[in-house]
Amino acid sequence: MAVSVSVLTIASLDWGSSNRLAAPSKLSPATSLQFPPRTRKFRFGNTGVYFPSQPRVLPLVKAKKQSFSSFDDLLANSDKPVLVDFYATWCGPCQFMGPVLNEVGTLLQDKIQVVKIDTEKYPSIADKFRIEALPTFILFRDGEPYDRFEGALTADQLVQRIEGSLKVKQ
Amino acid sequence: MTLQAQASSSFAVGIPSLTSPLGGSSHRLVVRAKVEPSDKSVEIMRKFSEQYARKSGTYFCVDKGVTSVVIKGLADHKDSLGAPLCPCRHYDDKPAEAGQGFWNCPCVPMRERKECHCMLFLTPDNDFAGKEQAISLEEIKESTANM
Repeated sequence: MAVSVSVLTIASLDWGSSNRLAAPSKLSPATSLQFPPRTRKFRFGNTGVYFPSQPRVLPLVKAKKQSFSSFDDLLANSDKPVLVDFYATWCGPCQFMGPVLNEVGTLLQDKIQVVKIDTEKYPSIADKFRIEALPTFILFRDGEPYDRFEGALTADQLVQRIEGSLKVKQ
Repeated sequence: MTLQAQASSSFAVGIPSLTSPLGGSSHRLVVRAKVEPSDKSVEIMRKFSEQYARKSGTYFCVDKGVTSVVIKGLADHKDSLGAPLCPCRHYDDKPAEAGQGFWNCPCVPMRERKECHCMLFLTPDNDFAGKEQAISLEEIKESTANM
């Protein structure tokens, strides 16, 4: 964890207590987290994407470890559509999707980036997107939700869904 | 914040496992340290799951890892909230939901329509349904050993 901890004081957020209870979110859903630009960092290391000074958002296979100052930042900095998996630790189907996402992420690595958000660690992001059932997948394109679906599926089904969805040109 | 992260990483040292419990693949699934539900609650939810599967004519997932994780999730909520709130949902206010009851296992969708999106209780026609209505404590422990 010490590797990419950029000391980022997130003003007015108390992530330490947001373990299980829905922490009162001081994030306005309409705005992204506002951080001083100088604290933004990009690091290349093992795997994973996380928000500085907070627990890792996710482990990604063969992915660069990057730190972003906000989820919006993450979306904005991706040159490809981003498939976001909203999950929880004790959600069975979510854990089932772990290896599936690794496989699909590798298969479609030129087409999409895969990101996982622990809804218990980041309840405000989950709230922002009105996540209810888990797992919920949202495919973001140009920073906006483009497709959305719930539940576990096989790698084949997931690939079909993503490719079919991306084929539809705006 | 960083403390939590450091504590997590020092705790979740990869416990070597020969087989991945979930998905059948050979790589290790590492999940950051999480408070474990009490053995007592796990046992209660395990027994409940077996009984309710029999009673409802539903079956556990072919991948018992899924079953195990959900049972632990139910036990975890039973410990923290006093009721087995569905672990496969995101909530605004968990205690309120647990008090209200719609999503307490067995939830209303399950009771009314045998719909269990946790994949704990699966109707026989479901692609993921196995043939079992039983799961041992040992199975649960093994499947979730690296969590």
